[in-house]
Parts: sequence; structure tokens; C-alpha cells
Amino acid sequence: MTTLLHRRFSPSALDEIIATAPESSAILSEAHRHSLSARFRAVATTEHRAIDAWMVEHGGKPHDLFAWSPAMTRRTLANAALRRVRAHDVGVLDAVNEEVDELLVRAAAGYTRSGSLASWLAQLSSPERAAVLAEATSWTSQLVEVTAPITHAWSVAVADAHYDVAQARTSLRARRDLVVEGPHGRVVVRVRAGAPGKSAGPGLRADLTVDALRDLEGRPSTRYVGLWPEAGVLLSVDGTMDDLRAGARDLVRTAVAWRRHRVSVAA
Amino acid sequence: MTSLLDTPPLGLLDSLRGDRTKRPRRDLTSAAGLRATLDDEFFALWGDVVFDAPLVVRASTLRREQSTALSSHPLAQVRGVLVNQALRLVSVGVDLERPFDDALSAWRCEVGNNDLLAFVDGLDAEERARLASAVDAHAQTLARALGPLRGRWLPRTGVRASQRLAGGNVVVRDTVDLMVGSTTTDEASVALLDVTTAPLDENAERSMRFHALVQTLRTTTVPLRTSAFSTATGELWSLNVDVALLRRALDELVEAVRTLWSPS
Repeated sequence: MTTLLHRRFSPSALDEIIATAPESSAILSEAHRHSLSARFRAVATTEHRAIDAWMVEHGGKPHDLFAWSPAMTRRTLANAALRRVRAHDVGVLDAVNEEVDELLVRAAAGYTRSGSLASWLAQLSSPERAAVLAEATSWTSQLVEVTAPITHAWSVAVADAHYDVAQARTSLRARRDLVVEGPHGRVVVRVRAGAPGKSAGPGLRADLTVDALRDLEGRPSTRYVGLWPEAGVLLSVDGTMDDLRAGARDLVRTAVAWRRHRVSVAA
Repeated sequence: MTSLLDTPPLGLLDSLRGDRTKRPRRDLTSAAGLRATLDDEFFALWGDVVFDAPLVVRASTLRREQSTALSSHPLAQVRGVLVNQALRLVSVGVDLERPFDDALSAWRCEVGNNDLLAFVDGLDAEERARLASAVDAHAQTLARALGPLRGRWLPRTGVRASQRLAGGNVVVRDTVDLMVGSTTTDEASVALLDVTTAPLDENAERSMRFHALVQTLRTTTVPLRTSAFSTATGELWSLNVDVALLRRALDELVEAVRTLWSPS
């Protein structure tokens, strides 16, 4: 049985959902990892595939070609700016400005690859850069708003969770924005724009499973929380074996659907 | 309370946020009642029928058709979008030297290509110059009135909201041009600002109420004020948000849904 929980957002809702995370969570063993790897290997592919919650939610549809835009930069910049706001007690706009300035310095020093955020920012005109700043400032302010009432220790996630499935040419990725030290273990929060669709639950379970796989001991978060501030909705799943299994099943199904998409495109 | 200012105040946001010591306590309880009332009203309309496609309601849905027809001209739309872009740039401390060009660059960077941008690119030199001078005038009125935005106010521009009501049969979508203040303080402090290039009228007032209602449903917190600023006239309308205002917004929303559901 799934533990998917739906709550309306209120200033205290996120803290309550963290405080009520379950005491224990399941653990993924080596046998589980081998079994998952075998299932992915059974879905043969000639190229490397990367699967994430977005693909799970969209039935294996591959991502569009990536291009930077103000909307695409906001999460990277806002998470980094939120870290600065917490560490140095600076205002939101100052934090975003400092983050962008640091990236520009890096680009000017030649420490960036072409196609990176820093090199893209460096080639923008100042009004275009201001559009990036506005987008990131709004998102950072939103993050400051939702994190202010959290009473537990938390930090901005350093990176998303990545897991390479052994011998299956498959990478799994789970989105993580905040890592909270809950009363009984870690709780991960991911913040997304827009509104959750009908398959938001499977997406969240896929993230939970990937987060557990990337843990050396196979220990999942006690609770994985999805927050959609624009819709005022919170969804969460707990780190139970049922949810981990459902998440793994959805990831494998997505690999199958992804292969169908590729075959139909090639045909 | 509705206040009408003949001349733009020095700091528009200062006046919106008002005296901190006089703000009411944060209202966290009205949202649930409003949502329940909306669900009851919609249930009374169509019972437990589930629609194939939801009825989508926006602030523009609540407006009267006359003004919608005027503002739906591509030039008016482009002007509105560009003044909004100017607001976004001003909100991050940009000193607008060439508002039209700056706003156009920012917009292009944001959306890539779309029909409205193609429309702008297709304008002849005279039309383009006329549009540029209009945008420059509107943007300068805005920048002058807005004053400095402090980072501590948590300024957010283009804040989107989407609410599913009546089991998903109704989807309410909204975008607030500028929002400042926090929902986490003990007293109400969120101020919503709608910027329009048209003179303020009854439709602007309906939009202000709609923004307040949608933000209340989204955050479960009643905002402090909802306002509209006209860059055409420099007028600012501001309403304190209370239960009576939200109730009126709710009635207007139900009326709009009733019209959408049975257009006859």
C-alpha cells in the first residue's frame, strides 16, 4: 500500500509533514540492487539512457533538447543563493547578485566549459542578465518563504542524487532541493514549479527509490516531500518497501517506454 | 477601503506596506472556509459530474467583454508584456536607460520566439517607434512610482498560481505582477500589485479581488493588501483584504464559472 499523502500548503504545513515522518524506513539490500540491475539489462539499449521523475511522469518521453533560459537557471541560482542567505544573512537580491557575479568571474577566468551556466551568463547583455536575476530572485524569495517555518536542522542539497545502474547503461537521477534532519532520519524536499499532475505520486516514488539507491547502505529518506508552491500543494511518500518497489517498477517501465519512443522516432 | 491617488507616490510600495504597527494579525483560517464554500457552490451547479476538460478561470475571464476586446489588440498586448518586463528589471535594481530595448531583450531571452515577438519584428519603423515611445513612457512612470525595492521584502515578480477546485472541474490560474512581504510573519504583510497599461476601471478592481482570493487559496494566508497601478494615468488603487472582500471575489468567481459552464 502506498503512503502517498496530499496536503494543502500553509506556512506550517512543511514543518508538520517533516515532524510526522515515520520512525523507520526499509533498507535496499545488495539483492535488491542486483535484481533492479537485471531488470534494466533486460530492456536492451544501444545508447546510454538517463531516467528521472519527469520522464516517469511523462510516460518515458525523452527530454527536449536542453537550452539555457532564465527559467532553466532559476533552480541552480536560487538554491545557491539560498545557501548564501543562510550562511551570510544577506538579502535575497544581494545573494543572487553575488552568485551571478561569481559565475561571471569564473567565466572570465576561463574556468568554465562551453555550454555551462557561467559561459551562457557571460554572453548575455545586461537586460538579459537582469531577466535571469529577476527569475532567480523570485524563486529564491519563494524558497525563503517556504523554509522560514522549518524548525528542524536543514540544508540546501549539494547536488541531485545520481545512481548508475551496473552494466545497464542507465543513470537514474532524483531531484533534491532541501535535506532536513527529521526526528527519525533525513527528509528530502524537492520544490517544483507549476502544479502536480496525475502521475506526480509515481514521480515522487521514483525519486525516493533513486535517493535510496545512491545511499551506500541503501537507506531511503524517512519521507520524500514534493512541494509545488504555485499550486499550494504538498505531496509526500515514506521510505517503505512498498513505495521503494513501486518506484523501482515505475523506473523500469519508464525505460521500456523510453525505448519505444526511441524506436518510433528511428522508424 | 479604496484610495485614489491623483499623483504617484514617491515610494509606491512604501505606501502599500503601510505602517507595520497597524497591520492586522495574519488570518490563517478563512482560506478553508472559502474553499469549502466554493466546492459547495460548484456542487450545487453540476453535482458529482466530472468534466472531460476543466473550466479554466483567469483574471481576464472576470472582465467585461468591451475592455477585453480593446486590450486584446496585439499592440496593446505587446505594450503590456513589455511594461511587465520593465517591472521585472526594475525589481532587481536595473536603471532603465532604454526601457523598450531593455524590456524587449529580456522578453526575447525569456521566451525565445513566439507570435507576439514575431509581430514586433514585423512592425515597420514608424509603428515600432510609436510602440517604443509608448513603452518608454509607461516604464518611466512605473520606475518613478515604484521606488527602491528592499531585499528584505522578498520581492517576487510574475508569481503564478494554479488552484484545482471542485475535484478538478475548475482550474483557477493567476499571475500577480509583483508580490512583496511574507506569509510567515505574525501580522499580515503580503502586498499584491497588478500593473496595467490601461486606465483603472471596474475590471481592475475585479482583478484585484481575484488576485487576493487566489493567493489566499494558494498560501492559506490572507494577504494584507491588493492593489493595481496604472502606468497610463499614474493612479494607484489599493484595497485592504478582509473577509468581505474575499467573499465578494468568491461570488464573482462563481458567477464567472456559471457563465462558462452554461454560456447561454
